[in-house]
Amino acid sequence: MADTAVAIDHESHADAHHGPTGILKYVWSTDHKIIAMQYLFTGMFMAVIGGFMAYVFRMQLAFPGISVPGYGQVSPGEYNSLITNHGSIMIFWVAMPVLIAAFGNFLIPLMIGADDMVFPRINRLSYQIFLLSALILLASLFVAGGGFGGAWTSYPPLSAVGEYNQTNIGATMWLIAVALEFVAFLLGGINFIVTLMNSRAPGMKAYDIPLTAWMIVLASVLFMLSVGPLIAGAAMLLFDQTLGTGFFDPARGGDPILWQHLFWFFGHPEVYVVLLPAIGFTIDITSTFARKKVFGYKIMLYTAVATAVLSFFVWAHHQFVAGIDPRMANVFTITTLLISVPVGELLFVMIATLYGGAIRLAVPMLWALSFIAEFLIGGVTGIFLGASGADIYFHDTYFVLAHFHYTFFPIAIIGTFAAFTYWFPKMFGKMLDERLGKIHFWGTIIPFNFIFIPLFMLGGIGQHRRIYNFEHFPELAEPWMYNLRAIATISLVIMLLFQLVFFLNVIKSWIGGEKAGNNPWKANTLEWSTVSPPPHGNWAPADLPKVYRGPYEYGHPDREEDYWPQNEPD
Amino acid sequence: MSEHHDVNYKKIYFTLLFLLVVSIIGPEIGIVWVTLVAAFGVAFVKAYLVIENFMHLRWEKRLMKWALGASLAVMMLMFFGVAPDVMRHDGRNWVNEAAIAAVERGVAGHDDGITEGPTEMAGVAEPGVFSPTVAFNQACAACHGQAGDGAGPAGAVLDPPPANFTDPAFWAERDEDRIFTVIRDGAAAVGGSPLMVPWRNTYNDEQIQQLAEYVLEFRPQE
Amino acid sequence: MSHAKPIATLRSATGIPTGRLAIWWVLASEVVIFGGLIGSYLLHRLGHPEWADAAAVTNTTIGAINTFVLLTSSFTAVLAHQAAEKGDGKTAAKYLLFTIGGALTFVCIKSYEWWSEISHGYTIASHTFWSFYYTMAGLHALHVIAGAIIMGVVALDAYRGRELHRVELIGIYWHFVDVVWIFLFPLLYIAK
Repeated sequence: MADTAVAIDHESHADAHHGPTGILKYVWSTDHKIIAMQYLFTGMFMAVIGGFMAYVFRMQLAFPGISVPGYGQVSPGEYNSLITNHGSIMIFWVAMPVLIAAFGNFLIPLMIGADDMVFPRINRLSYQIFLLSALILLASLFVAGGGFGGAWTSYPPLSAVGEYNQTNIGATMWLIAVALEFVAFLLGGINFIVTLMNSRAPGMKAYDIPLTAWMIVLASVLFMLSVGPLIAGAAMLLFDQTLGTGFFDPARGGDPILWQHLFWFFGHPEVYVVLLPAIGFTIDITSTFARKKVFGYKIMLYTAVATAVLSFFVWAHHQFVAGIDPRMANVFTITTLLISVPVGELLFVMIATLYGGAIRLAVPMLWALSFIAEFLIGGVTGIFLGASGADIYFHDTYFVLAHFHYTFFPIAIIGTFAAFTYWFPKMFGKMLDERLGKIHFWGTIIPFNFIFIPLFMLGGIGQHRRIYNFEHFPELAEPWMYNLRAIATISLVIMLLFQLVFFLNVIKSWIGGEKAGNNPWKANTLEWSTVSPPPHGNWAPADLPKVYRGPYEYGHPDREEDYWPQNEPD
Repeated sequence: MSEHHDVNYKKIYFTLLFLLVVSIIGPEIGIVWVTLVAAFGVAFVKAYLVIENFMHLRWEKRLMKWALGASLAVMMLMFFGVAPDVMRHDGRNWVNEAAIAAVERGVAGHDDGITEGPTEMAGVAEPGVFSPTVAFNQACAACHGQAGDGAGPAGAVLDPPPANFTDPAFWAERDEDRIFTVIRDGAAAVGGSPLMVPWRNTYNDEQIQQLAEYVLEFRPQE
Repeated sequence: MSHAKPIATLRSATGIPTGRLAIWWVLASEVVIFGGLIGSYLLHRLGHPEWADAAAVTNTTIGAINTFVLLTSSFTAVLAHQAAEKGDGKTAAKYLLFTIGGALTFVCIKSYEWWSEISHGYTIASHTFWSFYYTMAGLHALHVIAGAIIMGVVALDAYRGRELHRVELIGIYWHFVDVVWIFLFPLLYIAK
């Protein structure tokens, strides 16, 4: 009798601990790994939508007036909506959730030897707020007038007055979606920061933390410190849109340039918010597949901090021709050119890590290497734009657009694929197919360059941004320009088609792929010391790891093996 | 749990109340610097007392003081970085006329805190419905002017200048059909300037018809 | 459904308890949000001296009363913390209730103040000074209300002798709300 009572008691306790069963278990879970998957799948779904939008407007640009297959004819208003939402989606609903929320959630507790985040329920709440923001954004595309068409930078008075942007309801919904997304990431960020600061395994000192974890947390701090003024600005813009206030109306004592400053004060640190995690992934993967210690761990860490600090001092380079005080333009030119130094330093450390290593070109390593190469191109083209004199010509041309795609694409897409192919075995317990992985890799990288190099050239001859039909500008409607546009567009279509290979690979491997052991890459960091995929709680409570050394002890002379996991006792 | 700190909370509280009284009485004196010190100087002191003693920041680890200091520093940066553009209304090469006008209006006593709402817009659009007024103002007015007189801001640099629909001479040999053709196929199609581009990829025939009728309304009556 | 705390929450590599560490970071983010809003107001106000006429209408007496209310509520919040440190959950809950009472008083006084101003025509859209006034004070009031609600939950737990460490945490948040008002008061009521 007593046994039965005890057994029932255990069962009800187990039920209370595990909560609902079936599909609801995944909806209401507070496990950081499940929440990570939720962010990952939502982000990838939004990426498909954002990519489709790019396909539609590129078809319109290359073949004006065409009825785009799968969409129809693109009106000027629709074009504006497409480019606005493409940009917003890719930054706020793809790059941030995948790079920071998904991989941060999955990796941080594992990398520091913890059983979960410090605030699992707030973690769940942050995803739910994020999901709500995504749903509102998607809904905005279907309201009367269509999705917001005032560019992702949403400058007033265009964005403040419905009659100007012709997307009254969409504009307000877009703004609310963005604001909610900010709240979600503030909440999530606090979780990451506190977890990293406090919940490390015994023996893990600050310099034993893998750089991926550091970078994601640094990104969270940077986000938190820079987003405040824009949240204030968003409230002001919302009231201008809906309550008739004049925060940004000069005739009523407001100032549209205030919005620009508030937006870019956040907007520039934001690009480093997404860059830092990608750098973290790249250096960790590089170290693993070169079987070599990171060339300068402390250099990378402090340089990343310096980059983050400097990123607060460069924002007005987005406003060189907006009518800012020219003396400010001088200051911001200097700071902008300066920031290329620490960023370059980070890339140098990666290259130095490769030098002399036993390089193995597995698929994650291919992605990591291509990140270095492509981001380098994007970065150096930023130098032209950072010089205010040159920017007078380049501003608002496709040169800017090609520059930021050559930086954002490595960050958001290459970074994602690098991390995904590297940690897929840990997340799903199966290995991805290497051959399909390589086909997907080359099918993405090669077309990517053929999309944006033509756009650099077009930007160089002065092609403006945010124009829906270049036939309206005879100097921009020459046949050779249309050839370049066609090359870019067709390359985009090819690149999008190759993503099917990726999905095929994922599904095939998830269902019937080779089983992955705990540590298929023979890496050192703590996540590889547990089962693939890790159970609830990551390790049995008695087996929570202790740390004895740093995360990059590869090729140590005292060892027979060329790697030395952090949790192995001396 | 934090250790027990020896703080006389009552003393701090009454100091705060005293400072509150100071900050109210000070501005009554009427001297500007006294007002500023009494109002804001006191505010800083009060905030300091609350933060150090009630929030126990005095005994908190240095790390958090740095973090909070960082957020304050970021605020200062934002303020001083934006001030040259927003606080001032003119600079070396620029003038914010609307703001200066607003200040002058207010100083002259026309600002009582209750002003009119937003100014008139160039035609209110109903989403999904084509309005030739809105379309003209969006697509054509930049060159041809909202009044159809060829004096739009973008048209000033064009050679030949944009057509002036209010000029009788313009209509001497043109009719609605011709307007329709020019809008749809561009002026070059009828021997005119390529600067007037074709709009057939933007508007359908029915919409172009409405636009042509709209242009016709600028024609001066004989 | 009861929720077991992960082991992660109980660790403290920095020496600061997890909850307190989190609250400080929340405050850091709130500083930049309010700072952005207040900074934007300051930028406009300093460039538009003529706003003094629009601002003259705010009622300094009511503002002062509200400041007194919030300062007192901060006092009771810290007394609650003192009690919680001694392990006295019931006294802590009592003082937290006083603090919530202060919050409610603040909101009531503010509602009356706003109702009076709006019925005189000073709405959020009537003048940009008022736009800032309602937005700043409104954002602050939202934080007051949210804080009061959370404080209610903490007080309930404290009365039952549970989670007493949270008394300090909600107190820190509450003091921050008070500090914001300490700056809003001179900005909107005294040195207008």
